Amino acid sequence: MNNKEWRLIGSGVPIFDAKNKVTGKTRYTGDIKLPHMLYGKLVLSDKAHARVLSIDTSEAEKLEGVRAIATPFNTSSKKYNSALRFVDHDIPKTETIFSQTVRFVGDRICAVAAVDQKTADKAAKLIRVEYEELPAVLSIEEAMAEGAIQLHDNVSNHLNEIKVSVGDVEKGFREADFIFEDEYETPIVSPMAMENHVSIADFDDEGKLTVYSSTQNSFAIRNILSDVFDLPQSKVRVIKPTLGGAFGSKIPAVLEGPAAALSMMTRQPVMLNFTRKETLVASRTRHGAKIRLKTGINKDGTIVAQAYDVLTNTGAYVGSAYNVVGAMSHKVFKSYRIPNISYTGAAVLTNLPIAGAMRGYGSPQAIFAQQRQLHAIAKRLDMDIVTLQRKNLVTPETVDPVKMGSPRPLDCMERGMELFGWEDKLKWKENKNTINNGTDKQEQTDSRRNVKRGVGFAIGCHGNGVYGAHRDFIGLRLKMNDDGTFVLETGTHDMGNSLITSQMMIVAEELQAQVNDISAVEADTDLTPWNLGDYSSRGIFVTGSACLKLAYAMKDLIIEMASAMFQEPVENLSLVPYRKVRSTLGKEASFQEIFVYAQREHETDMLAQVSFGSLAARTSFGAHFVQVEVDTQTKEVHLLDYVAVHDVGKAINRMSLEGQLEGGIQMGLGYALSEQMTFDDQGRLINNNLKKYKMFTASMMPEIKIDFVEEGDSPGPYGGKSIGECATVPVAPAVVNAVADALGYDFHTMPIDVEGIKLMETLES
Amino acid sequence: MEPLILNINHRNYQIFQVEKNETLLSVLRYRLDITGPKEGCSTGDCGACKVLLDGVAVNACTTLAHRCAGKTIITIEGIADAGNLHPLQTAFVEKGAVQCGFCTPGMIISAKALLDVNPKPSRDEIRKALDNNLCRCTGYVKIVDAIEEAAEMMRKDDHE
Ligand code: FES
Ligand code: FES
Repeated sequence: MNNKEWRLIGSGVPIFDAKNKVTGKTRYTGDIKLPHMLYGKLVLSDKAHARVLSIDTSEAEKLEGVRAIATPFNTSSKKYNSALRFVDHDIPKTETIFSQTVRFVGDRICAVAAVDQKTADKAAKLIRVEYEELPAVLSIEEAMAEGAIQLHDNVSNHLNEIKVSVGDVEKGFREADFIFEDEYETPIVSPMAMENHVSIADFDDEGKLTVYSSTQNSFAIRNILSDVFDLPQSKVRVIKPTLGGAFGSKIPAVLEGPAAALSMMTRQPVMLNFTRKETLVASRTRHGAKIRLKTGINKDGTIVAQAYDVLTNTGAYVGSAYNVVGAMSHKVFKSYRIPNISYTGAAVLTNLPIAGAMRGYGSPQAIFAQQRQLHAIAKRLDMDIVTLQRKNLVTPETVDPVKMGSPRPLDCMERGMELFGWEDKLKWKENKNTINNGTDKQEQTDSRRNVKRGVGFAIGCHGNGVYGAHRDFIGLRLKMNDDGTFVLETGTHDMGNSLITSQMMIVAEELQAQVNDISAVEADTDLTPWNLGDYSSRGIFVTGSACLKLAYAMKDLIIEMASAMFQEPVENLSLVPYRKVRSTLGKEASFQEIFVYAQREHETDMLAQVSFGSLAARTSFGAHFVQVEVDTQTKEVHLLDYVAVHDVGKAINRMSLEGQLEGGIQMGLGYALSEQMTFDDQGRLINNNLKKYKMFTASMMPEIKIDFVEEGDSPGPYGGKSIGECATVPVAPAVVNAVADALGYDFHTMPIDVEGIKLMETLES
Repeated sequence: MEPLILNINHRNYQIFQVEKNETLLSVLRYRLDITGPKEGCSTGDCGACKVLLDGVAVNACTTLAHRCAGKTIITIEGIADAGNLHPLQTAFVEKGAVQCGFCTPGMIISAKALLDVNPKPSRDEIRKALDNNLCRCTGYVKIVDAIEEAAEMMRKDDHE
């Protein structure tokens, strides 16, 4: 399948709108200024749990330039689930546009619209909220305690468990030579797209609500708005301008509802734009998790049984609470040939910011535990971790090809070891331990005596689409223009991941066109066919496949029209570069000529349209290797080398694959070493700006080597599979394994920052 | 109140009723519709709003507008020369340094400030020059590559 010569597939094509982005021309949602547009400001709760008794807006109303104040008392209070995926999706509804009972510091109480931002900000400060405080539960334990206050009346704090198992886990444990039980904890972190959440709502006098929003999920947002405001969907239009990053945080409805409420009151467009602090507390976080992992293993290193017991902290409202623990349940089965596995997972409601989707969607938490424990077991049993991995990882030969395709985590590991020089680095360590003065020059200087080196790696996996959970569907349309170029109408949302570029490449490849010959209309619920939303690493696997089907449909149209034009059978005809049809008898016509012929002789438009539902699940894999130096005095971790190898089936756009992987590594490094949202005993976020919340900067990054395993036989386009989410999954366990190797500590938590290491030191001594 | 006169991308702008505490970013984005500089934090921590102020890269969100009178301000919109991309812009496109692009204006401004004083920076020097510019998409890898490449292109241009 991969022997074909590609013109475009597998090459590196810059993102389609790169030139506008480097000159500052790109219009993100926050750059749009509609005539008569008002600016909004939300009033957010400063209590973790309280009843709102009254909202005094009198002072704010007196302020010149204030146009409307929307409160829970004058706005729709219909409950919804912000993570709704399709119109008949049945998940618990706990959220309202504004809250009469606030459930976390950052919960939405009301919103002001004014002629400019300054006035709106000022007015918001003048609003007085009277609360009756309620007890707050700020941790999983508190929320689950006997007699704990319940956040909602339609669900309990401890949401329903999801249980999945294969084999006989109890029997597996009985027969295992060794059993290890560990408990791991992962932090609450922020997706932190550089563009804050922003929405503009424009309710006109025809009763139509148009919303421009930084969203990954236009069609679902339309469903929510239509439901909450009781508008038919013909009267709701959601448009996604260019997105400044998303990483899952822009899946749920966040600002669309409040902006719409203000616009409906004023009949003027209203922009609501989060500040960074608001994005941190009032958008979405990654679920913090507690994972109890029990593993049964034999003397020869064969893992015979594994049991996961997971609790996630889902914050104050049920958004994607069930989906994340549900998705996690799939991931723990994918990488290893373990005959007996059980998984029990439940989300727990607490009075903290709402957790939702974030790149990896459950995988980073579960795989951290899995990979950390495996390394710890190797150490405890004095086994070679590489041997242990080789013994247990799935290979194409060990799985049902119909269900799993051709999984290649082992190939990723072997290639990664080679690129990283795993054996050499291990030898270096051994030598250093036996020859005490050290062979490495750096080691001989006195100032570096406190530096310890370590190496580690981890294998990670993530899915492709949502097949198995629910429908996984997209419609696409391709129109030929009069000159034989094309417009692609796609309900997808490019988040910077080149999703649109990849679609253009596929269409151009199949239609013997150039990427520039295709332009795209992106997610607009009135214009583009339906799409589920851009999450679950659907981009290449589902949308790419749909796009291939679309290109074939257009190809058929062109060939049929050319056949009529040439009076030759279709078998004689083929497409040739650029945008031409040629017959075996030597006739040739450009797409433009064919278009003109179709219009003139047949009065027919050259329009292809397809529906595509994904009917397969595949897993993407990656192996990451890292070498670290830890300064035992300052407790600082310094990253030396980094290698990442991913099983992507087949590279579609190599440049965007590399770019997403490098970005996923940045995110994972923060997860491992520096990022964590911390709260005080009132539930207030302590590190509520980018000074205190520490993302990795350029000079903290290691040099990164990347490679791909491309043995594609997946049902994705040309065998292609996803990278976006998988990219970040192996990072944190690889780094923590390396730090554990350097210091000899058995870490069970992240991040491993200065405090994290100090804590370990006290525990170990 | 006297109007404030700012020289932005080689043109003079008169802005009326600018308050003492109004930031340069607010004047650029909301009064003049110069939206290339982005607002990622408004606390001086992300660098998305960077502009060149007399050739030095500064965060427009923490720079007061009235302090910029009499100075030369260059925003991302003023980097290309009459539609011809600056080598930094070309390299950012070609090397894949642009993903969502939200950090890109600030990155290019910081890179320009660096190359103006150090035409042959090491990768570490480039990284250091970007330490007040956050990016969530790229891991900075291709951004550093692009700046290296642009520096080389510019040195070649100089020699020709
Ligand atoms: S917006 Fe100015 S530094 Fe972030
Ligand atoms: S490209 Fe998205 S933040 Fe840098």
